[in-house]
Amino acid sequence: MAFLARALRQSNWRLSSRCPAVAASCRWISPTAAAGSPEAGAAVAPADLELPPPREPVGGARVELPPNPEDALEVFVDGHAVRIPKGFTVLQACEVAGVDIPRFCYHSRLSIAGNCRMCLVEVEKSPKPVASCAMPALPGMKIKTNTPVAKKAREGVMEFLLMNHPLDCPICDQGGECDLQDQSMAFGADRGRFTEMKRSVVDKNLGPLVKTVMTRCIQCTRCVRFATEVAGVQDLGMLGRGSGEEIGTYVEKLMTSELSGNVIDICPVGALTSKPFAFKARNWELKGTETIDVTDAVGSNIRIDSRGPEVMRVVPRLNEDINEEWISDKTRFCYDGLKRQRLNDPMIRGPDGRFKAVTWRDALAVIAEVLHQVKPEEITGVAGKLSDAESMMALKDFVNRMGSDKVLCEGNGPNPPADLRSNYLMNTSIAGLEKADVFLLVGTQPRVEAAMVNARIRKTVKATQAKVGYIGPPADFNYDHEHLGTGPQTLVEIAEGSHPFCSVLQSAKNPVIIAGAGLFEREDQVALFSTIETVAKKFNVMRPDWNGLNVLLLHAAQAAALDLGLVANPAESIKSAKFLYLMGADDISLEKLPDDAFVVYQGHHGDKGVYRANVILPSSAFSEKEGTYENTEGCTQWTIPAVPTVGDARDDWKIIRALSEVAGAQLPYDSLSAVRDRISTVAPNLVHVDERETPTISAEVKPPVKQQVSSTPFKAVVENFYMTDAITRASKIMAQCSATLLKK
Amino acid sequence: MAWRASLSRSVKEIRVLFCQSSPASAPAREFVKKNYGDIKARNPSLPFLVRECSGVQPQLWARYDMGVERCVNLDGLTEAQIDKKLEELAMAGESLKTK
Repeated sequence: MAFLARALRQSNWRLSSRCPAVAASCRWISPTAAAGSPEAGAAVAPADLELPPPREPVGGARVELPPNPEDALEVFVDGHAVRIPKGFTVLQACEVAGVDIPRFCYHSRLSIAGNCRMCLVEVEKSPKPVASCAMPALPGMKIKTNTPVAKKAREGVMEFLLMNHPLDCPICDQGGECDLQDQSMAFGADRGRFTEMKRSVVDKNLGPLVKTVMTRCIQCTRCVRFATEVAGVQDLGMLGRGSGEEIGTYVEKLMTSELSGNVIDICPVGALTSKPFAFKARNWELKGTETIDVTDAVGSNIRIDSRGPEVMRVVPRLNEDINEEWISDKTRFCYDGLKRQRLNDPMIRGPDGRFKAVTWRDALAVIAEVLHQVKPEEITGVAGKLSDAESMMALKDFVNRMGSDKVLCEGNGPNPPADLRSNYLMNTSIAGLEKADVFLLVGTQPRVEAAMVNARIRKTVKATQAKVGYIGPPADFNYDHEHLGTGPQTLVEIAEGSHPFCSVLQSAKNPVIIAGAGLFEREDQVALFSTIETVAKKFNVMRPDWNGLNVLLLHAAQAAALDLGLVANPAESIKSAKFLYLMGADDISLEKLPDDAFVVYQGHHGDKGVYRANVILPSSAFSEKEGTYENTEGCTQWTIPAVPTVGDARDDWKIIRALSEVAGAQLPYDSLSAVRDRISTVAPNLVHVDERETPTISAEVKPPVKQQVSSTPFKAVVENFYMTDAITRASKIMAQCSATLLKK
Repeated sequence: MAWRASLSRSVKEIRVLFCQSSPASAPAREFVKKNYGDIKARNPSLPFLVRECSGVQPQLWARYDMGVERCVNLDGLTEAQIDKKLEELAMAGESLKTK
């Protein structure tokens, strides 16, 4: 039975979790479902006493018995009594009892289809085996999972599934992590009896990300349900019936969702695999490192699979509160950008305008010399979108010690609202959005700004018919929304109470307002947020038990930059700069920069910032360093290095620390823990890893605003979902997606 | 109260750290709620960073020119004493500038 234990362990790899060894604290991550809802079934991991105990959840529901005894019932699984909430299915009851039921079509986050019949179990007094995923558990039900009848039933189903399945396991990319392989080993017969011709199916073209080998498809319809229910696109469906069944797109069409890569994970066989990853590696060759995504402000939990110094692929890691078990296509497929256009040596621009590779000592000496030639107020430091908190802390301390206050982070606008944390965070939390019944989106397009937040809103709209009102340029969100207007005048009407949407907000129990971080860039940002706060006060959006006022940030560095106080005005700082330090800042406008300004670019990619630079300093990417990132809801998370750095690159904060020593304003920290101790004196929430520190001081304490709201319409902040930062712009896969998937 | 109008000239940045719920931080929380509006109205461009974190001792930090920082522990202080401490930090900024 050793193979059985191994097969069961492998088939549950997506549901198991382990805490990173270097993390100071771990968040207990477990699958969950709303109690009492069979549609949102949960796969509960078998109880394991060695795992750390669960902590108090930040948001979202956990599997827990309802307080009312009437809402719980008792069933017997293989003779063991177990108490479950009402509405649980037989399969969920078995999992609570610690029995793993094989399944192909069932998925805890999708609706129940019941068409694979692999989860057949025996129920006392039932003449036939029962599909456990579709059968509600009844009080006193006696379930038997290990009887000859159940085993025979599963063996028969497996025989039928393998009948037309091609014997191409050696060339299949799903090898080593295939549910069909694992379950046929555990539950199938030891020989086949099928001697007829196997059928074959024509492959479909889903785009540059998903490779299809539809002959392997077992028609479990997981991908159809995922596309319809989670991704929100009606691209996939079932064609034909009986032995002619095929999954496809009906007409020749690409799958245009930002979450399409997740069908690769949920496909239990090798029908849908990763096209960029095709034939690159086997999963047993890969080293998995649990880390954090930085392509947007969601902070999705990911696992980077690497082989030696190369990142081979990115897959999601379960986190109920942030990304559940999905990630966006940008997160999943931009990894080849980590291998291209990398900076690996310090470089100095010569008199002829060409860059010459130099040693670190020479580069730092040149920079220090220039630093002493400029006045303190002429020094400006700019942090980029992908900066971690340690680097921004070092940059701020260094520039401050040189006598300048001009430290900023790109994207935070001329007057960042950095004083009170509730003014720039998603205060409801991402999981808390599921409790909302009305959404008002102001100047934000969550589908392209934060695809995972959009999926959460869509989940709420689908589950509870929540209303969505949107103010901004026309957009498609994959769910029904009411387009209220394009500019701040609509918001003023709502604040005055004269807009028809006010009645919807008035009748809402848990209203949510989401403002986009693109509003930070407007000159009337203060007046605009004051109007939003007026709307929030008018419709009871902020209460002691509910805070529905949110800001959806754009970049991974944005929340930490605001926490640390990088609040300088970009236009004024750039205009007066004679020494400009760009730390991965590629999207800040340098048009107003004086021609004689000295520019230092520190980053990991040769992107827009290097064209103006006088000195280039190579640094590590997020996959190569330990760094602290805070997401849009204020949850602090750490990245873990998965691969070594490229060439002679160093960690960002170490470069600044060395530069401070050469420049004569030495920073007092020499280790990562010392930097984090320093951070705890500025923003102590940034050292509470995997925690959300809820702010209690709200906008009510702010002084009145004299500024007037401008009538300029809101504009789209993200034009190309697939190219938003230096890593994605360097990615060939993202370039293919931009060419084929972007709507024209 | 006149010192508040010149706060942004003597101090580069003010940071208040406290816990969201502990009794030791209650005076700091009340101080911020009652005085933030007035301080911000007089000094619109001065960063007055309020950072709440569980388990943190209430602290008041001031940053001056050249990155010099001073910290005052607010544990056990009343609101009036906190106001006095803030004024002392502002005066310290003035004296630092004249050196």
